[in-house]
Amino acid sequence: MSLQQIWEWSYSSKAVDVLRNAKYAIPVIQSFHLFGLTLVLGTTVVFNLRLLGLGVRKISMQAITNQLWRLAVGGLLLSVATGILVFIPDPARYAANTAFKTKLVILVLAILFHFTVFRKVVRANAPPQFRRAALIAAVSLTLWFCVGWAGRAIAFLG
Amino acid sequence: MSILSWCHWLQNTPFATGIRQSDLLFPLIEGSHIMALALSVGLILAFDLRLLRLAFAAEPVSRIMEQFVPLSLPGFAAMFITGLLLFIAQAEKVYQNTFFRFKLALLVLAGLNALLYQVKFYPKMAEWDKTGVVPRGARVSGALSLIIWACVIALGRTMAYEL
Repeated sequence: MSLQQIWEWSYSSKAVDVLRNAKYAIPVIQSFHLFGLTLVLGTTVVFNLRLLGLGVRKISMQAITNQLWRLAVGGLLLSVATGILVFIPDPARYAANTAFKTKLVILVLAILFHFTVFRKVVRANAPPQFRRAALIAAVSLTLWFCVGWAGRAIAFLG
Repeated sequence: MSILSWCHWLQNTPFATGIRQSDLLFPLIEGSHIMALALSVGLILAFDLRLLRLAFAAEPVSRIMEQFVPLSLPGFAAMFITGLLLFIAQAEKVYQNTFFRFKLALLVLAGLNALLYQVKFYPKMAEWDKTGVVPRGARVSGALSLIIWACVIALGRTMAYEL
């Protein structure tokens, strides 16, 4: 079954029809999408502030990673799952939307960076040099906040 | 003059009209309002979860509070300012929006909940923090904070759907 067929099948399925037509289904799902955003962006801010030594300095990087990494992963899963639920009832609209396509590309880059370079540095025993930390923080914050901004732009770029 | 007619006047001031009709300014303010979630609720979360022992259980509550709460204040300030600008730009419709009214009521509750913690549990925090047991009331306050902020986010999203 091709991706196209999956969309066509789900588009015309009864469950998706309910999702599409229930008055508050989409804003409720989007609320959960925002809970996920709050977790992902919030923990990213904490990790980066600690990495740069600009905040939460009295808590070790190790403790922060132990406690907050799973929140970030949970938030990401929640956002992706709810994002799919918003996409499915109206795939043609999103597939044609430049902001949406941009968002997907940045999201893939953000996930790749987060689970490779970033994961390694927040789990390292010794903190990186400031210049390296600053570069990593800049990339991490730019990628994740651009995912958020591109998401917001979907509604405005039609 | 009724509140509604005041809102009508407010959103027709050149300042409000300028924001509302700007192709760039309005999305920028609205986007900032949402991104500020990470800098406000996203940071205060750690403290609420600590009160409930769901995160940072090995750290004293006082340390988590001191490290996270001041950090969240600029985010809450950004939230308030951008929210105020969004209200001014669409005052008449927003004022009549039921979800907005519930959101406002919950924001008052969030404030009262934080105040209650400051008045009732903060003064003796040094004592109970040493025992490692968070008083039941303080735990309730942490849980309430999480629930209230989740509802505020949901009401904010839903109210925009109706504008």
